[in-house]
Amino acid sequence: MCWVCEAYGDPEVENGRWYLNPKNHSRNMYKIKKPDQKAAAYGSDPEAQSGRNIGEIMQFRFTDPDKFNQLIKEANAMKGSGPFQIGQVIPIQEAYKVVEMSYPVASMSCICRIHNRAQEERNEHEYSCTGLGVGMLKWERWPERYKGGVNFMAPDEAKEWLVKWNKKGMVHIIMTFGGSYVGGVCNCDYPDCGMIRNRVDYGIETGCLKSHWVAKIDYDLCTGCGVCVQRCQFGAIKFEVTLDKTNIDQLKCFGCGLCETGCPTNAIELIDRESLPGLREVW
Amino acid sequence: MTAPCTVPFDCKKCLQACPQAVFLVTAVKVERGKETDPKEPGAYRLFAPHRDKCTGCNDCIELCPEDAITINFPPLEA
Repeated sequence: MCWVCEAYGDPEVENGRWYLNPKNHSRNMYKIKKPDQKAAAYGSDPEAQSGRNIGEIMQFRFTDPDKFNQLIKEANAMKGSGPFQIGQVIPIQEAYKVVEMSYPVASMSCICRIHNRAQEERNEHEYSCTGLGVGMLKWERWPERYKGGVNFMAPDEAKEWLVKWNKKGMVHIIMTFGGSYVGGVCNCDYPDCGMIRNRVDYGIETGCLKSHWVAKIDYDLCTGCGVCVQRCQFGAIKFEVTLDKTNIDQLKCFGCGLCETGCPTNAIELIDRESLPGLREVW
Repeated sequence: MTAPCTVPFDCKKCLQACPQAVFLVTAVKVERGKETDPKEPGAYRLFAPHRDKCTGCNDCIELCPEDAITINFPPLEA
């Protein structure tokens, strides 16, 4: 079973999916801060990415590679008890459910793209990330601190917004900001996204867990057009010359559903990861 | 990176050209309650946290107008 669901899901609600549990969308408006805490930039350790805790691990990459590998193993083994930000890939169908239940929903600039590709997103036409929950009100309240602002969206607008990025080929990742509290549905791609990068390149699992789904291809319907191969951000799909069809490696598949939404002949469907014995513990 | 690169957001050539996306721009000047201005010289700095993925293609060196980037690979062992 998915360890985040085990820790934060409610078996009575939506098959126990943690990100569809309303409790994880009910973060307090204000955090209590320690009075002697100093202000620090996001990722203030320049060798690090994606928050402080992952950053503490990442700095050993160049100084002590053995320790680095050891710390990654430990971090992955900690699962729910670790202090790490949690992210999980979700297909667009589940992202719809999330923007329906969360409030407020807003589009905003992507923090990863600013840092990794210096892509500044300063208005609603440039935003590429989706923020969820009361944290979004900060952007309005303190414009000096959160420049660029946010654009609040109704659920229907938010769905159109998700479709727009899905069409472009972005993976939706549900992110927590502080404990189990959901703070956004990021639209991500490799290598700009820090979480995907940490997972694919360095094996840090917590920030980018695989989804509850996995793609399965129907060879009778597949024409071998290759659209899905282009859309996969995780290198799970290749064109199999022998069969003249597409081949999906389900062990590598993150279950984002981009291949499914892009397939012109509906040859790909998403099936429940836990229905396959070999993938039950692959997250 | 070295001193000549003071306003990475004005140029951002290396950041957007690198095939391995090794670069990162981040604020080194932090004021409580205020987002750092990307136009202010020296407030942001360029780093290469993913330099373990660098292939040495030298595209960034050719693009950099300030000659701020150097790549050092260990020499081939005889």
